[in-house]
Amino acid sequence: MSAFNTLLLFIVALAIPGVINRTRARLAGRRGIRFAQHLYDLRLHMRKGAVYSTTTTALFRTAPSVYLGAALVSALMIPVGNLPPLLAFDGDVVCMAYVLALGRFALILAAWDTGSSFEGMGASREALYGALVEPALLLAAGTLALTTGCTSFARIFDPATLHDSQYIIVLLLTAYVLLKIVITESGRIPVDDPRTHLELTMIHEVMCLDYCGVDLAMIQLAGWIKTALFALLAADATATAFCLRWWVAAPLAVLLTGLSVGIVESTRARNKLSRNTTFILTITALAALAFFTGYLLQLNIPLA
Amino acid sequence: MFFIYTLSLLVFVAAAIFAMPLRGKAWAALAFISLGALGTSVPAIGTLAGQLSDGWSHSTATPFGLEFLGMDALSAFFIIVIAIGGIASTLYSRGYLAHALGSKSPAHLSLHYTALTVMFYAMLGVVLARGGYTFLFFWELMTIASFLLILFDAERRDVRRAALSYLIMMHVGFVFLVVGFVRLRVATGSASFDALSQGLADPHALPLLLVFLIGFGMKAGLFPMHIWLPEAHPAAPSHVSALMSGVMIKTGVYGILRLAEALADSPLLHTAGFILLSAGIVTGLWSVILAASQNDVKRLLAYSSIENVGIIILGIGIALLGSASGNHLVALCGMTGSLLHLFNHSCFKSLLFFGAGNILTQTRTLSLDALGGLGRHMPLTAILFLIGTAAICALPPLSGFVSELLIYSGMFRGIASGSNPLTAAAGIVALALIGGIAILAFTKLYGSVFLGTPRTHEVAEASEVDNCRIIAMALPLAGILFVGLFPASATGLVTRIAGPLTATPTTAAGYLLSPALAGIGRTAWLLVGIVGLLAWLRHRILRSRTVTAGPTWGCGFTAPNTRMQYTGESFAEGLQSIVPSFTQQHGESDAVAKCEIFPSAHRFDISRKDRIDRLFSAWWVELLRQINRRVMRLRTGKINHYLLFALLFLTIVLLLSVLHLI
Repeated sequence: MSAFNTLLLFIVALAIPGVINRTRARLAGRRGIRFAQHLYDLRLHMRKGAVYSTTTTALFRTAPSVYLGAALVSALMIPVGNLPPLLAFDGDVVCMAYVLALGRFALILAAWDTGSSFEGMGASREALYGALVEPALLLAAGTLALTTGCTSFARIFDPATLHDSQYIIVLLLTAYVLLKIVITESGRIPVDDPRTHLELTMIHEVMCLDYCGVDLAMIQLAGWIKTALFALLAADATATAFCLRWWVAAPLAVLLTGLSVGIVESTRARNKLSRNTTFILTITALAALAFFTGYLLQLNIPLA
Repeated sequence: MFFIYTLSLLVFVAAAIFAMPLRGKAWAALAFISLGALGTSVPAIGTLAGQLSDGWSHSTATPFGLEFLGMDALSAFFIIVIAIGGIASTLYSRGYLAHALGSKSPAHLSLHYTALTVMFYAMLGVVLARGGYTFLFFWELMTIASFLLILFDAERRDVRRAALSYLIMMHVGFVFLVVGFVRLRVATGSASFDALSQGLADPHALPLLLVFLIGFGMKAGLFPMHIWLPEAHPAAPSHVSALMSGVMIKTGVYGILRLAEALADSPLLHTAGFILLSAGIVTGLWSVILAASQNDVKRLLAYSSIENVGIIILGIGIALLGSASGNHLVALCGMTGSLLHLFNHSCFKSLLFFGAGNILTQTRTLSLDALGGLGRHMPLTAILFLIGTAAICALPPLSGFVSELLIYSGMFRGIASGSNPLTAAAGIVALALIGGIAILAFTKLYGSVFLGTPRTHEVAEASEVDNCRIIAMALPLAGILFVGLFPASATGLVTRIAGPLTATPTTAAGYLLSPALAGIGRTAWLLVGIVGLLAWLRHRILRSRTVTAGPTWGCGFTAPNTRMQYTGESFAEGLQSIVPSFTQQHGESDAVAKCEIFPSAHRFDISRKDRIDRLFSAWWVELLRQINRRVMRLRTGKINHYLLFALLFLTIVLLLSVLHLI
């Protein structure tokens, strides 16, 4: 069952970019590229050779493996609906965040390694936004722990765990927070615009300017897995409110993320960079709101 | 008699070191320290392993009555931390001070090594002393020895200033501790740690608790008493910074742990937990933000030490709150996490300060904006420093991650069980933010020092350090890897101490934590395995492709140069734009004028100061000046006035004694 869980997670990860592209195309009145075009692009990257900057050291060459490895390991802790994940222990909610942080750390240092000011700029923003989004993520995890009394994703999203119906609003709010975290972590509009020419993309893509070939493929794949991982958490939280099954959670994750990111990208412009911190702090504030709501519901104060 | 024995022993050590030839002084100090380390570590390990059930104790006669030296599990744990830190620092000092052999006088070096040895034994004494006055004696000895150690480069004005401010702050703390112990003696009839629980059992003992907290917090660097740290560390030689930051400030935490132990059945438990948690959160957040805005390697490391003390105190606070609400698992997670983090921090902070020492001796600078690209020239230092950096950022699969995860899981359990959700949530938010900003601060440090291209030609010509120093760095490295990769066995030892501190039976303690620790261990190995596999796959794929080298992509600009690299200052600019009020910016520059089409050379200098620093010095200095001015009015310079004052004084004494007031 755990193997099926992991497989499903990969399918979700590979499907989300396709749905985003298709949504955007349809809203713009185009037919759009092939659904699996991003996979063809990935294969193309894998076949290419590589050019490495003379400034770089071995760290630059190892960073993509660390980034992808970290994304894979943290994905192994995420359940899809009622399926059990491969890695589950008390406290894995924190472990996931810190394994992801390892990937971020590696990529930031790789950006420093090139000695380029563009990549330094991207790395600086990635470090700052990563730091600011972390409290929101852990507070969301804390809210889930509060409503279920468990500290492991596998147990939180276990159908056997008692899910009190009074917490539906809290779960939906947490799912909303997690969806916003997806947007921040994957550098989508309104935080960053991944569609521009590379130098004009402000955060994540500019950090990987010097990568090509296999390395770039690894970074892209890791990015999709990271997106899928948060999307699945959001979908799980939403599904908990009515029907926690894998055949609900997996499509929900793809559609929820694909449609919302696609629609937002077709209708909004990117934030001014200085607005991004406000945007991220708002996510933390929302997470705090969800937590307090959960806490108040738990106190069960009788109304007059 | 006890103090006389100790002092004569010190004289003997000093004489031995002074008598050694110039090159042998380091070895003599190392021999003395190894002797002490081995002599105390063996019973310490025995105590921890449970062979010596209640440790040993030894009574001594002091001028204040009979007091005890004794070892329990907590002292044993600290002895191991001190032993590792002491040996590594002394070993490192041999290579680090090699260049000073010619420039400093032999007496100067002898004094330094004597102070190093004395400091080591004083720290051992601090954690072994059971009686308050013995403790204060060793505490003071430790302060004076570390003061002498900071003064190594006494010809520099900033060093003298830093050492003096350290001495003053430590003595302010000392006065608090004296007051605390005297008050304890008045209340309970004994000034020993064993009487502490009796003294704190009174619900009105909060002032006593606060006095002790301030006294110990001064050494540990709790906000706002941390201001001596960022001054003293850059001033001291690197091995001294390592010893002070890795081990000495932990003696302050030791004191706080003794308080925590004594609070077990006290009505103040909840209040104390709340105070410690708040102090930890404020200390951690304040100093990590300041760490991110520093431009000097050692100042950044110093602020990060304060931040880590904040994390340790936060964990102790969580543990006390857990005990207060009767949730033993929360208490156990918090306490084990704190203790383990204390050990981990002593390992990686020593490693990082040694790395800073390597940078300083090989490039003659510690300014982030002058370094760069050192990774190519000093590969071993770069790799060791990278591991230390990743460990201090609490990244898996290294040691910092294990301890922070334990503290986190304490807080998550606090939320999940509903025993103290609000305080735990505050702790989670703070710790998450601290962790995130620590990554920013340390990627800034590592990136601007070791990566990119060298910014000056001294840096470009740097070479790797001698093997002796690398071996000294490998000692803490072993600790980092052991805790990170084998969390279950490493934590097993620590739970033996945390169990009694949180009133949980030791066997239950190990049992309760083992599932989570096994999970962490599995994750760590899985991570290592998957990353290794991916790196190997990538290597395989690239073997059949054309791989070429070229310049860094300059986005169409064809003449990039070294000065265009991203600097540490600009890296932290985003954070600075959110938190301007935490720091005070000092800038000296002449701006580029509008008419300069081809700008000439311009200099500018930016430094960021702690606002607390300013607040403290301005406030104290102004107050002292005002008092002084008032007092100076009495100094008229006329002998008849002075006679009048003497007469007035005698009259007051007479009146008071007549009224039976004195």
